[in-house]
Amino acid sequence: MDPDSVAKAFVEHYYSTFDANRAGLANLYQEGSMLTFEGQKIQGSQNIVAKLTSLPFQQCKHNITTVDCQPSGSGGMLVFVSGNLQLAGEQHALKFSQMFHLKPTPQGSFYVLNDIFRLNYA
Amino acid sequence: MDPDAVAKAFVEHYYTTFDSNRGGLANLYQDGSMLTFEGQKIQGAQSIVAKLTSLPFQQCQHSITTVDCQPSGAGGMLVFVSGTLQLAGEQHALKFSQMFHLMPTQQGSFYVLNDIFRLNYT
Repeated sequence: MDPDSVAKAFVEHYYSTFDANRAGLANLYQEGSMLTFEGQKIQGSQNIVAKLTSLPFQQCKHNITTVDCQPSGSGGMLVFVSGNLQLAGEQHALKFSQMFHLKPTPQGSFYVLNDIFRLNYA
Repeated sequence: MDPDAVAKAFVEHYYTTFDSNRGGLANLYQDGSMLTFEGQKIQGAQSIVAKLTSLPFQQCQHSITTVDCQPSGAGGMLVFVSGTLQLAGEQHALKFSQMFHLMPTQQGSFYVLNDIFRLNYT
């Protein structure tokens, strides 16, 4: 599978899971994974999922505008996403940018080693 | 030097150089460096600097809003930046997000292995 397709497939899977079942993101992270969410640094799959499932909204929908990817060396892949995030009940969607550093698993899949999320304020 | 300080120093150096002397960015990239600029993929220091020096404006000023960084493994560092870009003569600044993957050089400095730039349209 070519890198761009892998990146697109990952992005679709990540945000579908986020929007339908945030706890299901747990198997995309490992102990050494790092998330920086609006400047807050969190480490490890358990803490990361705890943070994401505790965000102050029940329902949300990510709409992806752009996906860029590049190989990061040693089999890893960098994925840079921009889009908007619609929270249930809110009139206006929030714009965001996010980058993922994916590393291969022995099973031939990918996990998220690095994750940085920022809202893009107007 | 702690990672956050390294990231901040790199970001200041990068954008100061970009804004005053784009040709001077050449020594921040190497042969294997990759830039994706608004979706266009470019490889190698020479081609990257050719692209950046040929952008259709003479003068610009980057103003940085946020800088996030995380270690990428194997001594590398991921830096995620958001800010605005004011072009000379334009009334409104452009918003952008950019990610860098820095790798150490033998001289104890860093070079840019991966660089992805996107404008954030309102």
